[in-house]
Amino acid sequence: MMGGGKSSEFKMVENYKPPPTKKPRRERNRGKLPETAGSTEVMEQHIWKEFPEDLFEAVIARLPIATFFRFRSVCRKWNSLLTSHSFSQHCAEVPQGHPWFYTITHENVNSGAMYDPCTNKWHHPSIPSLPTEVIILPVASAGGLVCFLDIGHRNFYVCNPLTQSFKELPARSVRVWSRVAVGMTLNGNSTSEGYKILWVGCDGEYEVYDSVENTWTRPGSMPSNIKLPLALNFRSQAVSIDGTLYFMRADPEGIVSYDMINGVWKQFSIPSPLHLTDHTLAECRGRILLVGLLTKNAATCVCIWELQKMTLLWKEVDRMPNIWCLEFYGKHVRMNCLGNKGLLMLSLRSRQMNRLVTYDVASREWRKVPGCVLPRGRRRQWIACGTAFHPSPTALA
Amino acid sequence: MASSSSSLPSPSSSSSSSSSKKLVLRSSDEKHFEVDEAVALQSEMIKQMVEDGFGGDVIPLLNVSSNILSKVIDYCKKHVDFDSKKKMDDRRRWDAEYIDVGVDELYHLIMAANYRNIKGLLDLTCQKVADTIKGKKPKQIRIIFNIKNDVTPEGEQKIRKEHSWAFE
Repeated sequence: MMGGGKSSEFKMVENYKPPPTKKPRRERNRGKLPETAGSTEVMEQHIWKEFPEDLFEAVIARLPIATFFRFRSVCRKWNSLLTSHSFSQHCAEVPQGHPWFYTITHENVNSGAMYDPCTNKWHHPSIPSLPTEVIILPVASAGGLVCFLDIGHRNFYVCNPLTQSFKELPARSVRVWSRVAVGMTLNGNSTSEGYKILWVGCDGEYEVYDSVENTWTRPGSMPSNIKLPLALNFRSQAVSIDGTLYFMRADPEGIVSYDMINGVWKQFSIPSPLHLTDHTLAECRGRILLVGLLTKNAATCVCIWELQKMTLLWKEVDRMPNIWCLEFYGKHVRMNCLGNKGLLMLSLRSRQMNRLVTYDVASREWRKVPGCVLPRGRRRQWIACGTAFHPSPTALA
Repeated sequence: MASSSSSLPSPSSSSSSSSSKKLVLRSSDEKHFEVDEAVALQSEMIKQMVEDGFGGDVIPLLNVSSNILSKVIDYCKKHVDFDSKKKMDDRRRWDAEYIDVGVDELYHLIMAANYRNIKGLLDLTCQKVADTIKGKKPKQIRIIFNIKNDVTPEGEQKIRKEHSWAFE
């Protein structure tokens, strides 16, 4: 049953590449060095010195994110791009690539680790403004900003992990700090037009923060067709599609959605697949997905379902490759989803092991993520939780 | 009055129905290229010229040489095809092969795309420049683009400190 016959369809990519047929070093160097050195030389000598000023921003907006920050030291002009309006417009025009992941580790919950899937690299940003006296968890993101909530569910913080741009949100009007689910949306294409954050509790209370007004408001109370108490699945982060947030609930099993533009709640009853645990919502280009562990007898497998919007049923669309699932045979496995936007990051944990994998919904590619190690460190860090965000150097909290 | 208005292309004639309508482009080295109007209209600049009534004559492109112009026309032709089919993977593959050119040609292509305002080609060429320079050091960047280094050592330290994660 678990050994589905689909393995030939999987594209499996390991993090290492098998070494190509070996060549003597001299030959390898001959193939490599002159080319790179040559292209610099050519670029140095020629016409590029006349490169028009007005094209620089379009080129720089297309650099890899880390390279952009390294190139800030080229000159004052390049350094000042972070606050340039025209540059942020260029950035908004570049097609969005894979999201990054902002995660926190168990050892030191207040220092984050960011994973860039394009370069397959972990970065360790320092955000001095984040409070250190309480544990704060990344709970949502939009337009390059990550929203944090402290573990006592009292205060919200918003920050751009790339630039240290930071804001503590004003206090909420509630006095009971029960657990809440959180979602975040943009007002326009980028954070320059503002963003909204919604929290919702199991008693049906909810508030919306608007960054333009810098206040929380209570738009109303939940309509009677939403069954209370709202048994929210707090393990599952919300997904946001076209200004609407989707949360997972139980009793009845399904989804509740909130349209952040028009302020409308909806409820959809969708039966969960059998034998499902540790499930969470995900999205990819407007599709709503479910990812979870399917356990039967001693076999455990990561499964992906897609919501059939006409029938309101989950349809299985993919599974983790069999040989990866075999590692978990006979073990008790827990799964955490550390990012659910197009590229999913999953942490799979059993007593002796901790695996991080990504799944690209569009290309159906599974990849192993290298362990997160501090620079100059040796010991692997244990990733506790996280959220996906689309890196944007110009996003302001 | 009537004759002048008939020589102006009406907005409807620039749509797919006029696939047979041709425009003639002239490169800086006096070579003539006859192309379908739909192909030439990929360029916002030519579109503007046609709207302003230059469509009937030869359109001179003063700073584009014939070899670069024929390469640019290749791009526009292919993308008129792509626009009607919407095969993203094919488009990406074709673009990748198309832009695999030397740095000299890349420079002339980006200038032509910029001057003639062909958005798709400008995006593609800007991305290629970014890919070409991304592995370089700030020092090399200054030499390539003849940029004066006006960042103080303290300023550079500050940048490194603010974004130490990018230098890991």
